[in-house]
Amino acid sequence: MRWITILDRRCRALLRRGVAERGLEAELGFHRERQIAANLAEGMPLAEARRQAALDFGGVEGFTEAAREARGLAWVHDLVPDLRFGLRLLRRSPGFSAFAVLTLALGIGINVALFTVLCAAALRPLPVPKAERLVTVAQHLASTPGADFSRNVHDDPTFVSWLEYRRYAAENRSLGGLAAYSPFVDTTLDNRAPILGTMTSCNYFAVLGIRPALGRFFAPDECATAGAGAVAVLSDAVWRREFAGERGVLGRTIVLNRTPFTVIGVAPPGFAGTVPVASGFWAPLTMQRAFSPNFNFIGDPNQSWLALLGRLKPGVSMARAAADLNVVAARMNALQPGRRTSVALAGATYLAMPSLRSAVSSASVLILAAVALVLLLACANLAGFLLARAEGRRKEVAVRLALGARRGRLIRQLLTESVLIAALGGFAGALAASFATPALFHLAMSHLPIAPEFHFTLRLAPDWRTWLYAFAIALLTAIAFGLAPALRATRTELTEAMKSGAAPGQTAALRAKPGAGRWQRRLVGAQVAACMILLLAAGLLLRGLGRVLRADPGFQLANVAAVKYDLAGAGYTPARAQAFQQQLASRVAALPGVSAVAQATLLPLGGSHDLTGVRTATGAPSHPVEYNSVSPSFFPLLGIAIQHGRNFTTVEAESGAHVLILARSTAQRIWPGQDAVGKTLDGWGAEWRVVGIAADAQVAGLGSTTSYIYRPAGPDPAADLKMLVRSRGASATLPQEVAATARALDPSLPLTAAPLAANLAATEALAKVVSALAAVLGGLALLLAVIGIYGMVAYAASLRGREIGIRMALGAGRGEVLALVVRQALAPVLWGAALGMAGFAAVALALTGVLYGVSPWDPVAFTAMPLLLLSVALLASYLPARRALAGDPVAVLRCD
Amino acid sequence: MPGTLDLLILRTLAPEPLHGWGIAQRIRLVSQSALQVGQGALYPALHRLYAQGWVRAEWRGTEHNRQARYYALTRAGRKHLEREQAQWERLSAAIGLVLNQE
Repeated sequence: MRWITILDRRCRALLRRGVAERGLEAELGFHRERQIAANLAEGMPLAEARRQAALDFGGVEGFTEAAREARGLAWVHDLVPDLRFGLRLLRRSPGFSAFAVLTLALGIGINVALFTVLCAAALRPLPVPKAERLVTVAQHLASTPGADFSRNVHDDPTFVSWLEYRRYAAENRSLGGLAAYSPFVDTTLDNRAPILGTMTSCNYFAVLGIRPALGRFFAPDECATAGAGAVAVLSDAVWRREFAGERGVLGRTIVLNRTPFTVIGVAPPGFAGTVPVASGFWAPLTMQRAFSPNFNFIGDPNQSWLALLGRLKPGVSMARAAADLNVVAARMNALQPGRRTSVALAGATYLAMPSLRSAVSSASVLILAAVALVLLLACANLAGFLLARAEGRRKEVAVRLALGARRGRLIRQLLTESVLIAALGGFAGALAASFATPALFHLAMSHLPIAPEFHFTLRLAPDWRTWLYAFAIALLTAIAFGLAPALRATRTELTEAMKSGAAPGQTAALRAKPGAGRWQRRLVGAQVAACMILLLAAGLLLRGLGRVLRADPGFQLANVAAVKYDLAGAGYTPARAQAFQQQLASRVAALPGVSAVAQATLLPLGGSHDLTGVRTATGAPSHPVEYNSVSPSFFPLLGIAIQHGRNFTTVEAESGAHVLILARSTAQRIWPGQDAVGKTLDGWGAEWRVVGIAADAQVAGLGSTTSYIYRPAGPDPAADLKMLVRSRGASATLPQEVAATARALDPSLPLTAAPLAANLAATEALAKVVSALAAVLGGLALLLAVIGIYGMVAYAASLRGREIGIRMALGAGRGEVLALVVRQALAPVLWGAALGMAGFAAVALALTGVLYGVSPWDPVAFTAMPLLLLSVALLASYLPARRALAGDPVAVLRCD
Repeated sequence: MPGTLDLLILRTLAPEPLHGWGIAQRIRLVSQSALQVGQGALYPALHRLYAQGWVRAEWRGTEHNRQARYYALTRAGRKHLEREQAQWERLSAAIGLVLNQE
């Protein structure tokens, strides 16, 4: 109970400070009186008795302070006067204060904005009641040593099979309910609008604890057997967009991927699923074959396709539930020989899926590092300015130290000032970020190549986490930029500083210079290094963008329409698919204005990749390659020349003959210096003969350097083929015409048609967004570094005013002195730049993925950016130096 | 030695409540003037002991009819004193053994 007493006493000491102080005075007065009386009793005269008592007493101020500190909360006691003192200082130099607050607001604002996005994705619980009791269950499979077992994975390797879900749900004792769902079901609504939905177990909504806005959610019998439950729940957004928000939608029949479903309910407005991409509808898992007719996921015990979401029973901890589920997991090992199963639980967020998390985290680490660097630059600037100011305050500090103020107390006071600046800056930054983040996020997303049916579920409104984060980094920054100046200001040789006060600007001021100057130069060096890193990153990304915009992809995109349809998803057998393809091709070729039609499983720059390994002989090392199955017309349609050998024949394409065409560089990689035509490759479990060499074309992706081989579009991949159509001139209506032709053949086939150039535009958009971000950050860094350099030179020049005056009085030329000042300023810039370049070169590899083939050590960027930085630095140091020299040297000397 | 003053004050307060001056006098008297506690050390120490809950304080009239702040041990303070005193005795005995070795 003692701690209650302590707390009580400390609070009282704080709240009733006046009472405590008066009490202390009375207590001390009493003591002095008794001492005087005792001295008198010993026979001292009255005056001497008083003097002795006073001597015994010592310095009153320091003593009351010590007693106060002993009461425990001295710093809170000092806070108000310190804050008042800090505010007075800020008001006294409004220019500096505004600059400092703005700089920090920028630095902190950017950090808070990024945090808001990450927090919304990774930290915030799902928007459902009692979300903190929801857990995601991830199953990790491994094989016992020596055993070899494999697994079919759809979406994420931690997903479970239908059978496993049933056992986890039935055999656990710690969950109030366990739901399963399969996200990202990409299909069409009523054969017209693309829509993204989720297949769920029938207790999904019950486990989440949400109620329908309209109608009902799934009943248990709707998930009883495979094929049961052709019912669907719509999201609020889809209900309003596609059905005008009519209540009559209940009981209506909608067609999802050619299968009729009855609408039974509408989800509440705030809920759009449990992954970052919004779900437009929900349907029972048992309807899986309606969405992918060629697969039977429910009946396949070796198919991972279900994410798990459970609600902990009251009083059960996550650790206990994990132990419980691992017991069930251990029983599963009997399902397959060599299998080792473990289960991990985590609080449910939008980013619970490991594959999503790793994709987001690798990108965000890069951006996080960049914005942290910007904040660091801002801090360095402020530290530099505070250092300069601390020099000006040396006399004041020295006097206070001599009067008995303690160093810790002074440091605290100086820190209060920087905390004040940081608090104001942090508040302004967080406020700006909370308004700007949603807008900026949507702006960036609207420029990214994302399908129209993708909507993000993230809520970017700031909450307590955002504010807490802003507060934490503001405090950290305050210490980062305030501590060094405060420490320096209070570490003073008393006599020397006092002397400098007696004769301002003389020896002491000259002697004071090296210390402060050294600190400032170090800060500027560090700043330039950080700025160099950001500039190089920006430079490289801009070079990448330039390469994308000027790219010659090696094939012709103009006047080509790309038509995508998923025959496999629509339930076509390979034979039927081939018939459909041939029919469609001949009808499209007959359309007016069409000059060529081709088929391919992968569309150029389409963002999908098929990978495999091929060998020159059995046992030879495997070459990783990307492959595409194409019709013979693919090459002439895209203008890719067959440089050697021959094209596929129509017969080969229709029969699926084992012949290959290799891209030129791929052939050289596999058989360096040899003629590849006529040679054979082992792949896809068969032997393939190379019949031709095609010109290199960046069909897989701009800047892609992977090996690429073409197979003939035979009967096997027929269901996966898409169509390319070239028109004679530019035709805006061609995609629609092709789509109409296809619908005439199969009215319910989901299909999209767009100009092929849109794929390039998507790549360009990504490059533009990334390099815009980098350019903004780099520009900001440059601005901050310039301010830092300018400040350093201006300050150094002002300190050396006298020295400059003497030099000029002794006959030094203006130019010489100028050169001297600038040269000295550029030293830290040079080593900072070198450091930054070295630092960046070490981490540049991380950017390779977004550079579109530009080397991460690209000489252009590594020349242009340092030159830019150096010339700006030169200007930033020349201007204040010239200003310092503008005055009359005699006046400068007389001023002392 | 750090902490020693706290121990002295607590022990002095053990028999009866005293005011600050009284504590200083008692320590001087008992130690036969070997230990002189200046106010500069005494009052901060008293306030620290108060803040930690080892002593309580109240204003009371003295025998000379003046108001003075009297300090007394709390129950926790008494236990703390016992612990600290035992600790000190062990320590000084140990130091004595080392210093008086043959």
